[in-house]
Amino acid sequence: MGVFLSEWRENEEILGRLKAEKIGVFLVENAVYHAVIKSPLIEKQNRDYYVLTEDLQTRGFTACDVDNINVVTYDNLVDLMMNDYEKLIWL
Amino acid sequence: MATLSIGLFSSLVGSMNADVAIKLAEAAANKGHTINLWFSGNATTLAKKGQKPFKDYSHLKDMLKALQEKGVLIGVCEACAAARGIHKEDVMEGISVHSMDWYVAKVAQSDRVLHIGKE
Repeated sequence: MGVFLSEWRENEEILGRLKAEKIGVFLVENAVYHAVIKSPLIEKQNRDYYVLTEDLQTRGFTACDVDNINVVTYDNLVDLMMNDYEKLIWL
Repeated sequence: MATLSIGLFSSLVGSMNADVAIKLAEAAANKGHTINLWFSGNATTLAKKGQKPFKDYSHLKDMLKALQEKGVLIGVCEACAAARGIHKEDVMEGISVHSMDWYVAKVAQSDRVLHIGKE
């Protein structure tokens, strides 16, 4: 399951309760702040986290401001959606 | 190549959801995927012609036209649009107005579906 998280400090409980064999979390829009501040949200195990580089840059950050999270472009995002995650949801 | 259907529910004003939806559709179309873009709820306002572009923001009309040139199908929910005073004659050229069954059929034929935003 691929989960788009777009907001800051919203939907975190829903995200925490999601269960699937494989979960990838795509941090877009204001949710990119989770990646920058190393939020507790992204410490949950058995999940792959990705942050959209364009939305980082829009907010004055770069890939250098992010540790241990995959920084992806829209092109990368499309490949992940099409190849790695059959079900997609937006929170 | 696969088919991706994106349903968008947010308007351009007050949300960046439309920005993500359009750029995602563009990136997927550039890779050769078939894309259906569906505007529902407040997103139907995106299809209205004659909108004055923001000075500091991308001109949506040009972005939608570019998507259409890449083969992206753009449909608008007829009931949602009508509820907002937008009728077929008010919609940008090339964007079609349909009832929900059009979109449901597209979803049924899609390899991936993503619904973006909320009212």
